[in-house]
Parts: sequence; structure tokens; C-alpha cells
Amino acid sequence: MAENTTETVQIEEEKSKKVSTSIFKKRWKKFKTLKRGYISFLAIVFLYIFSFIIPLFFGRDALMVKYNDNYYFPIFKFRLASELGQNIQGEANYRLLKQQYKQEDKGNWVLMPFYPYGPNENLLDELGEGNNPPTKPDFTHWAGTDNRGRDVFVRLLYGFRIGLSFSLVVTAFSYLIAIIIGAICGYFGGKVDIIIQRFIEIWSTLPFLYVIIIVSSILQPNFFLLIIILTMFGWIGMTYYIRGEFLREKARDYVSAAVSMGASNRKIMFRHILPNSLTPLISYAPFTIVANIFSLVSLDFLGFGLPPPTPSWGELMGQGLEGIDNWWLIVTPLLAMFGTLLSITFIGEAIREAFDPKVYSRLK
Amino acid sequence: MSENLLEIKGLKKYFPIKKGIFSKTVGYVKAVDDIDLTIKKGETLGLVGESGCGKTTVGRSLLRLIEPTGGNIVYNGKDITNISHDELKAYRKKMQIIFQDPYSSLNPRITVGGMLNEILKFHEIAEGEAAEKRVAELLERVGLRKIYARRYPHEFSGGQRQRIGIARALSVEPELIVCDEPVSALDVSIQSQVINLLLDLQKEYGLTYLFISHDLSVVEYISNRVAVMYLGKIVEIADTAELYKFQKHPYTQALLSAVPVPDPKNKSKRVILTGDVPSPAKVPSGCYFHPRCPKVFGDCSNIHPVLAPADGHRVRCLLYPESYPGTQKVA
Repeated sequence: MAENTTETVQIEEEKSKKVSTSIFKKRWKKFKTLKRGYISFLAIVFLYIFSFIIPLFFGRDALMVKYNDNYYFPIFKFRLASELGQNIQGEANYRLLKQQYKQEDKGNWVLMPFYPYGPNENLLDELGEGNNPPTKPDFTHWAGTDNRGRDVFVRLLYGFRIGLSFSLVVTAFSYLIAIIIGAICGYFGGKVDIIIQRFIEIWSTLPFLYVIIIVSSILQPNFFLLIIILTMFGWIGMTYYIRGEFLREKARDYVSAAVSMGASNRKIMFRHILPNSLTPLISYAPFTIVANIFSLVSLDFLGFGLPPPTPSWGELMGQGLEGIDNWWLIVTPLLAMFGTLLSITFIGEAIREAFDPKVYSRLK
Repeated sequence: MSENLLEIKGLKKYFPIKKGIFSKTVGYVKAVDDIDLTIKKGETLGLVGESGCGKTTVGRSLLRLIEPTGGNIVYNGKDITNISHDELKAYRKKMQIIFQDPYSSLNPRITVGGMLNEILKFHEIAEGEAAEKRVAELLERVGLRKIYARRYPHEFSGGQRQRIGIARALSVEPELIVCDEPVSALDVSIQSQVINLLLDLQKEYGLTYLFISHDLSVVEYISNRVAVMYLGKIVEIADTAELYKFQKHPYTQALLSAVPVPDPKNKSKRVILTGDVPSPAKVPSGCYFHPRCPKVFGDCSNIHPVLAPADGHRVRCLLYPESYPGTQKVA
């Protein structure tokens, strides 16, 4: 028998400890070989994780304060100025406190973060004589200050965290809706499909921007409201792809095999068909993330986005529009956006190549 | 051998042809048109015919993978044509299918062991360690190594995949297996292995097969009886040995004369049919076969023949007086 003669070959194969790999693992390996995308991926993931510990490196609150033989950790707990011997109202200003301790020279000290400015902190008092905000970039404020005297560099960093988080959440929710609706349309087909598709067509003609403007003029938009609105309009495109994938996959014999085994519709849809229908979703995800970041920046720019004083790239660019002399208010957020969007696009490109369905499946 | 395991009575499957904005039904493709078949316990019934004649539709209707338009499927005395999804679960264990295309019939995302485990668990056959053991047994029974359970389908060859498909069908310990062209996608050398495996399994477990194929030599080798289909209807049924010796229906004659014989000196007469198979959406009047039949005569285009017994065969052709409607005895 032909298969028996290859027996020795198979044994050798097993000796070489060939580990069985799923298609996903193979694709991941391939993705890692695409350097540009992989490095961008690592950079974005690192930056995003890092953005959650920004206050340790970039922030207004001292990491540690020694005052009268007591140690305080203001980064974790709010401290009144009076507690630390500072003669101002409300919360302590640690930069001023540091100078004060230095002058007093009583062995008290303040350990500040590497870049001691917060995103929403008004620095009007500290800019020095004759410097009216916005001020140009210098060694203290790497990207200058904006028109309210806030540090632009820190605002850019926080803007990255908010923008990317926002975009990830919107993408996740809209894809979830797209999967459910696309799966129902594609799997059941027929009348269900026709009715849902007509509804989608009507829904997709609603003008997105006007809806946002109308909603913003009635309600003060916040993070969650904007997520809901963008999700409401963001799911439609992916639904078509998922529906198409389901239409194709349900005709395959492995689905018939699952039916002949008596599996339920839900199980067939989500255990058997869905894992085979994720290619367009994964390939499009980075580009959708880019698009959602862009939407948020645009809305912020137009003033319909996140409420002030949330740090945001779009809002900075909006300020730049008021006075073109303040070039750093335009250039720095643009550079930040350009860098982020470019990296994510590189990731998307690499994913698209690694997930090319023609390579590992002989189905197509 | 005498007990009827499965009876198909008047099975019909019409696919509507829709046109226009409002999807008005303008006609039907009669993929399967009024088929009666009985499959006896332990036998192999071959179902042959050219592409598009409805063989696969019959096979899939039996498992309700395609919902039939009309007719009844009676399994062991119980009509399963209209029973609910839950009731059907018990019959899913008794009837299984092996698919034609070994590449699309396995889910590329699930390991072989994962797939078999899931079935065993779902049908409450075995779980945990017992399931692992059963999977290993199944794989070894179909001639695969048990370590293959950890592998994904894309790591196997076509023949190996088809064996996995057989293992899947066997996993629920069925009585009847519909083999839907199980070897036509394989190399000839692998075909014989798979067919011998099917025969061994039949002997071992007392399986009943409905063997759908367009390869007449394979059908001759494996089947006890053979049914020939043309345009959604059965035109002739007989025991294999009988049918391969004497064919009554002109279509069967043409079909069998096309089987290549591995003997260069053999100059048997080929019956060459003219024309193409008519579209099942626009079937000819009278006997469906008459536009292509070499023995056509006056009545053929007017009278619709019925399947009637004639000399141990059952045949649907007006050359035999039994086939005139109304004359046949109650079968």
C-alpha cells in the first residue's frame, strides 16, 4: 500500500519532533518575519501599555515626598498643600514645593517624575516674565505650551492613550455587532437576510456627521456617548464581509458534516464557521482602528468631540488654526498622528500579507 | 438481508427558479423527482448516473441536509421526513455521511482529535480519557496513527483526509452510511485502499451503505444492487451481477458501454449518445430520455413510463410493456 511505504518517512518526521501547528500559529510566524509590520506592532503595543503608566514618568504629582521625617507618595494619594508645609490653597504644587524645600534646606525633599508636568495643568504662573502662552518649544516644555499654558508634549501622550483606547473600544464593539448581524444574514439567508439587508441600507444612509452634530448640540458628548455613536455607524461595512464569508463557508462540506452530526445552529455559526471567517475582520481591524482615531481627531478638531479639558490631538490642531504663528500646535499633533497612523497601517499591511488565505488553506 | 432499513417513498426535491424584483417563482429545477428506493439491512446500494442527475441530492435529503420538497423517508419503520431537530438527534447517530471532497469536508481550524472528541461528547458516547481512547481506536481502525489526533487537517494528504472523514462517520457507530462519491477525488491507488477499508468496515460492523458514484467499476466492485438515475428519476434497478450482464434500459446500456475495459483487443460496441443532458428545469415530455435515446419510437414523447418490474430488473422504459402506466401490477 502506498501509504505504508511512506511509513518510514512518517516515523522520521515524528523523530524530528514536528510540532503540529494551527493555521493561526503559522500566520503569526509569518507575521513576525515581516519586519516593518512586526516592529510597528511591538512599538504600538509597548507605547500603549506604557501609556497606562505615564504618570510615573510624565506627570505633575511627586513620586515621593519626605517631609518632617514622614514619607508621602502623592502619586497614589491626593495631598493638601497644607499637609506638606506649602502655603497655597488646595492641592500641593510639587514643583514649587521642591524649590521651597531646597531653599529651606531642612532635609526635606521631593522626588518628581522625569518630566514633571501634567496634561491639564495650567502653567501660567511658572512660564516666567514676558512669556504669554502659547510658548514655543524649549528644553523645559519639549513641545511648547498651548493657549491655556498647558504642556503640549504631555497632552500629546495622554491624547495617544485616549485616542487609541477610544478607537480600540469602538472597533471591538462595532465588529461584535458586525459579526452577529453578518452571521445571522449569511447563515440563515433568505427572508431574514433580505429584511436585515434592507434595514442596513436605510441605516447606512443616515449622515453620520449631522447625527453627531445634532446629538452634540443636545447632549454634552462624553467618552461613552461618542463610543456609542461611532459604534452605531461603524458596524455596517464589516457586516457585508462577514455575511459574505458565512454565505461561502456554510456551503462547505464541513458545515454539512456538523449538521449531519446534529450540531445546533449557534454552534455551527460560532464554533465552525466563524473561526474560518475571520480573515477579513483581522485584515481590516488595523485600518478600522486608524479610521476611528481619525474620526475622533476630526470631531475634536471641529469641537464636537470629547469635552474639554480632555487632552486631544484634534483640539490642539484646532488651537493651531487660531494662530498660524504657533506652528508647534499644528506640527506636533500632526507628527504624533502621522507616526501612530503610519505604524498601525504598517501593522495592517503585514497582517494582510500574513493572513493571505491562499497560502495555508487549499479550500479556495 | 431481507429487512428494509430505509425506505424512500416518492422523494422529491424541487429548487425554485426565481426572477424579478419580487423573486417570483417562474419554475422549478426538479433535482429529484419522485424517487422510490429501499435499502436493505447490511447491503450496499449503488446509485449511479451522470453529473447533475440528482444523486447527491438524494443522499443529502436522506440526512435532511437538504429538506425534501415532498415524499417520505422511513428509517426502520419510523417516518423521519418531518420530525423536529431534537427528535432527529437520535437518527443522526444512526445515519452518517462521507463526503466527496476531502479538502472542504474537514474544518481547517480544529484538530482531528478535537473534532472527534466533540462528536463523542455531543452524542454522549464517551468523555475525557475514554474519549481519547476511543479517538485513538477510531484512527487506528481507519488506518491512521493515533498521534494524528493532534494534527490539523491541512497536514494530511487527500487519502488520509478521506480516512478521517470515514472515522468521523464511524465515531457515532451508525447503521447506515451515505457514501457521497467518497473516492472520486482520490488517486486511483488510494481509491482501492479506501474502498477496501469501506468493505472491511462493512463486514466488521454490519454497516449498510448507500454508495453514490459515477464510477461504474467502483460501483460494480462494492455494491449488491445498483440504481441508475437520469434527470432526477430512477430508470433502472437490479442486482449488480445482473445489471452488469444485461441492461434493459437504453440509458443503462449506453452508460455501461462507456466503462473502459483494460483489454486492447476488446472491441465491444460503444453506444454513443447524441446531445446533452436536458436542463432539469425544462424536462422533455414523455420519457425524459427520449431526445437522446437510440431506440426511440412513437410513444416515447407522449407517454410517461413508470418504474416496473421486468425479468428481475425494475425498469422505466416503454420498450417493456410493463412500463406503460396503469398496466403494472401493484408492486
